[in-house]
This record gives sequence, C-alpha cells and structure tokens, in this order.
Amino acid sequence: MDWQALALSLRLAAITTAILLAVAIPLAALLVLGRSRWLAALEALTALPLVLPPTVLGFFLLVLLGPRTVVGRGITALLGHPLAFSFSGLVVGSMIYSLPFAVQPIVAGFSAVETSLVDAARLLGAGPVRIVYSLLVPLARRSLLTAIVLSFLHTVGEFGVVLMLGGDIPGATRTLSIVLYNQVENFDYASANRTAAMLLALSIVPLALIYAAGKSRGGRRA
Amino acid sequence: MRKQIPVLLLTILSVSLACAQTPLRIAAAADLQPVLPPILEEFRQATGVRAEASYEASAMLTTQIRNGAPYDVFLAADLGYPQRVVDAGLAASAAPVPYARGTLVLWTRKDAHLPPPSLELLRNLAVKRLSIANPERAPYGRAAVAALTSLGLYEALKPRLVTAENIGQAAQFVDSGNADAGLISLTAALTPRMTASGSYFVMPRNLYPPIEQGAVVLRNATRRQAAEQFLQFLLSAPVQGQLAKSGLTPVK
Repeated sequence: MDWQALALSLRLAAITTAILLAVAIPLAALLVLGRSRWLAALEALTALPLVLPPTVLGFFLLVLLGPRTVVGRGITALLGHPLAFSFSGLVVGSMIYSLPFAVQPIVAGFSAVETSLVDAARLLGAGPVRIVYSLLVPLARRSLLTAIVLSFLHTVGEFGVVLMLGGDIPGATRTLSIVLYNQVENFDYASANRTAAMLLALSIVPLALIYAAGKSRGGRRA
Repeated sequence: MRKQIPVLLLTILSVSLACAQTPLRIAAAADLQPVLPPILEEFRQATGVRAEASYEASAMLTTQIRNGAPYDVFLAADLGYPQRVVDAGLAASAAPVPYARGTLVLWTRKDAHLPPPSLELLRNLAVKRLSIANPERAPYGRAAVAALTSLGLYEALKPRLVTAENIGQAAQFVDSGNADAGLISLTAALTPRMTASGSYFVMPRNLYPPIEQGAVVLRNATRRQAAEQFLQFLLSAPVQGQLAKSGLTPVK
C-alpha cells in the first residue's frame, strides 16, 4: 500500500471539503433566499461540474490557467509556480469538480426549512447572515453532514482532473486513484487489488454511516 | 412526406451497408499520432480498406489487448510490449516486426526565456519542470530516463520531472507552457504546431538504448488479411521514406 498517496488523497479531500463548505453555505443561502431571476443561471452553473467530463476541467485548468494566459501568469506570479503539477492546482481543480456535491445537499436542506420560520425571523429583525447561521444551518445540519461526506469522498475518488494536470509527482500530485491506475497499467494486479479495496472501504464506510444515521431518525427529512 | 420515405429508406440502407464493412482497427503508440493519419489515408486509397487508429502509451494498449480489445494490428513504440502480446499467445506471428526507430529530442518553447535547447540546458536551474513520458509504460519515457542517467543528471533532475501519461501528453505539457522543457519524440517536435512554437535538440543516440518500434498482427483480428496487408504497406519503401520525413528512422 502506498501510504504517502493515501495520506495525500485524504489531505486533498480534507482541504477541499473545508474550503468548499465555506463557499457552499453562503452560495446555497443565496440560491434559496434570493429573489433574482439570474439565480437559476447561477444554480445551473454550480451543477455544471456534475455533467462536464473531468477532462474538460483538466484541460481548462492546464491551458486557460496555464502560464500562457494573463490569468495564468497572475496565478504563477502569486504562487511562484504554475497551477499544473502542484498540490494547490489539485485543490483548485477538486473544488470545482466537487462543488455540486457540496452545494446541492445544502440547497435541499435549506429549502426544507419551513418558510414561516424564515419569515418570522425576518419580522423579528434578523438579517440574512443571522438567518443562515442561527436558523438554516442548525436545522439543516444533516444536509451539511451529507455535503461534507459527499464532497470528501468525491474528491478522494477524483481521477480525470488529476491525470490531466497532475504530472504524477509523489507526495504532491500522486493520489491514490493515480496509484491504482499506475498499478493496473504496470500489470501489477495484486497491488491494484489492495489499492482498489482501500478506495472501496474508504467510500462505503462513511456512506453507510450517513444512511444509517438517516434511518435511525426515522425519516428522510433533511 | 410520403414521397420522401423511399429516399429515407435508401439512405438508411446505404449507411448500414457502409457500416457493415468494419474498419481495420489499429492500436498505435502515441508517438505515431502525428505520423499515421496521412499513411492511413494513402492505405485507403491504395487498397480501399478504411483504417482507424487509437493512440495511447504502448503499455496501456498492451493491457487493453490482453483484456480483449478488438484491435487488428498493434504498432508499439518498442519491441518489449508487442513481445508481451506474443508471449500471451495473442499475436498471429512468433515475433514482433520492427518497422521504425524513434528519436528522443529536448524541446522548449521559443518564448520560454531559456537558452536554445542543448545538453547544457539540462543543467540549467531555470528549467524548473522537465516533462517526460511515464518511464514505466512509455518507451520514450524509458529512453528519457536512460539518457538522463547516462548524463549523470537523473538524481539531480528527479524532483523537477513531471511525468505524462504518454509521449503525446509530455509534448502537450511543455507546449502549453506548464513545463519549461520536455524530452519528447521527434515526431511530435516536427508537427507544424510545435515547429512554429518551439525548437528542439536531438539527444545523442549513444545516451539511450535505441527506441526500436515493433508491430504485430493480432491473432483474433477480424480483418486478418487487411492487417497483414497494412503491415506490408508500412514496410514498403515509399511509406518508410514518409516515416523518415515525420521523425522516425526507417528500418529498411
């Protein structure tokens, strides 16, 4: 087992999930509480990574954010190196790639909160920030948990984006799914079996726990 | 509308007839991507056989073939991978046929603010990222590591190497500016796109074992005859001459 790759995958997933959560809560609140007609377009945009092939994303990050564009040169100046072939590049890629897995459960959770509660809070003078953090977040905590677990696992299982802009550097961009791919390509099926079993266990255990938590409360309400 | 129905049926019929003739399927090493398409077109004009190629690293194609991928011919970038196909009992012949020899070059973009490519450049610390193909599965990657090792630079450069899936991606990493320099195939360096944007230095041939490229016809080929015909075509003098212009050294 490649422990370095396992640690890297877990670190990538943890950092991505933490940043995503900070982005997804305000975004979901805007989508649920907002009134603008443009929100439908914004919601579509956040769902885009669900349907786009990860290779498209990898290509954009490699070429559009590469050192040959203005944006890319800015990033290179800021980080001291191009986004490609670096851990920070994988974090950016993973955030885009896993965005819908964070936003959609939270939107569902926030939408399930009774509108009369939100209206009452407004009448009592609560601002949007207060409504989100004192009302929506506590009431939708199970959706938040789902969002956390799904974005974490989706990032652990990420492959296409990493393959396109990773460069297979041990400790920086060689994640567990890349190790599995290498093992299969190098005809090392015994190791590939172990890596695949590890990825499977990493995914099934947390998922089973979430669904078990949902069942024990006797309902599917978010 | 009713008048159009026979026309429509006729169209469907002719399209399905055209599809019934399955194309010759070629598993081709990634360094052949810039080379093969015009050759396939000439083959179609000469014989009427339509051929389609998939380009990947040789090891990946070997895995696919061993798992039953429906190819007719395998054009690898070395002799070892087609030999594995032979050993697995999946080839129609007892040994791979060499059809060309590959050349490794050091390539940089003209706008990279680096001195022109040379062996000296490999010692230049301004080269922060050097792209190579994966040495475990791409013959050009293996040649790149061998060349760096002969120069005594491999250990020093190791932290700065970025490994691409195949030689095509290694070229794309450096062409997109994400890597500063790349050890790529001459076939990639000679494409119009890359001659326009960069320059190359031919790595001395004594630095790495020759990239002897071998081909096999597969035992389960659905178009065995056309496959043998294609291999003969590839080894014919005019086509070998064409390979030479595209960056491969002919074997004949």
